Amino acid sequence: MLSAFEKAIHLILTVDAELCNILSVTAKMSLSSSIIALLIGVPLGIVLGACCFRGKCILLVLNRTLMGMPPVVCGLLFYMVFSGVGPLRHWKILFTVKIMIMAQVVLITPIVIGNMETYVSGIALAIRETTKGLGLGKLKTFLLLTNECVYQIFSVYLLAFSRAIAEVGAVSMVGGAIAWKTNVMTTAIMQYTNRGNFSLGIALGIILLAVSLLVNIIIFLLQRRLSK
Amino acid sequence: MKTFAFSKTYNDVTVLNVPELELHPGKIYSIIGSNGSGKSTFAKILAGTLSADQKGIKLEPYISVGYMPQKNYAFRMSTKANILLGGSDKTRAEYLMKALQIDCLASRRADHLSGGETARMVLARLMMKQYNLLILDEPTAVMDMETTFLSENLIQQYTKESNCALILITHSLQQAKRIADEILFFNKGQLWEAGPKEALLNTPIHPETRQFLKFYGV
Repeated sequence: MLSAFEKAIHLILTVDAELCNILSVTAKMSLSSSIIALLIGVPLGIVLGACCFRGKCILLVLNRTLMGMPPVVCGLLFYMVFSGVGPLRHWKILFTVKIMIMAQVVLITPIVIGNMETYVSGIALAIRETTKGLGLGKLKTFLLLTNECVYQIFSVYLLAFSRAIAEVGAVSMVGGAIAWKTNVMTTAIMQYTNRGNFSLGIALGIILLAVSLLVNIIIFLLQRRLSK
Repeated sequence: MKTFAFSKTYNDVTVLNVPELELHPGKIYSIIGSNGSGKSTFAKILAGTLSADQKGIKLEPYISVGYMPQKNYAFRMSTKANILLGGSDKTRAEYLMKALQIDCLASRRADHLSGGETARMVLARLMMKQYNLLILDEPTAVMDMETTFLSENLIQQYTKESNCALILITHSLQQAKRIADEILFFNKGQLWEAGPKEALLNTPIHPETRQFLKFYGV
């Protein structure tokens, strides 16, 4: 086991080509999916948290259900739709990074919406009363509300990114964990461990944990700043 | 100016039912009453942040309304930037900050201010503009005596200078005595009694008003 650790450190230090490819696919998938989820989820979360409308409760319950959707179920749905017998088979995106990003967006967006909604609903009434009392318009109110959410948006983004980078169920189903093409850190760890190649698995595990640590440090610092 | 008659019902319980009121420019109307008597609901509906049972009912469009809610909100920006949200006149902002003794806090983040400082900042922010009707919901509740007097002076001065009708919701009968022209007594969601302050405080008509005043030592 110790030699596997040594080999893992060696792979990281010598910038192993396969390791670099896995990291690059992981970065592409995680960054793209978390940014897309943020772009969709933040405005929806703000609207859900700040506005009162008919059917809002149904949307909230639906979103909370989607927040807990098992990744393999999401993967299965995408597989059924885009596989050779699925209705969108002619898109030919199964086992590509594109479909991995799409599946991740479906998994992460409800988390972004839920987090933003919870935060915004806590401050929206006070902001609405204040801006109305000052005679400010809807656009100014929305801009002020968004400004109040800046740190929360960063925090939610990091949460979405850490979820994307650590996910394995959906990406392995729709991406297929194809070496040099769709293999990401989590699927590669599983693959190499099954093959008995612990050193590459450990190297990836170390990097994954380091990224997770970094993200959590940033979230902690942001939350501390928020509470000050 | 005239307000409208309205009611507010929650879960089949009518918590507020008020008649049309005639308010005169340059006068301060103090609303007094126990907790749950409907004072804040009245203010919210007049300010337009809460809808009455009579959907769509509003003050005449020419009446501009300023409103200071019970919970003071400070945006995550400097005190001065917060005040400038109320209007862009920097000289007036400086004047109001000095008058309320918060000029030394101008560059400090407003969401880091104390409760009393936040209340003064919110008051200054609101007084950046001129309104036909200004509603203040317990503006000095979290202030000390000195800053309460400062704020009261400014409220009186603002009312005269801008010639607006000012509604002041307060739990302090002493405050109502000091600055109000007329007092409105709310009880159980209804306007029980209203009139010039001397008349209402010295010779109240209703037994409930007398009891309320007696409880507060008036």
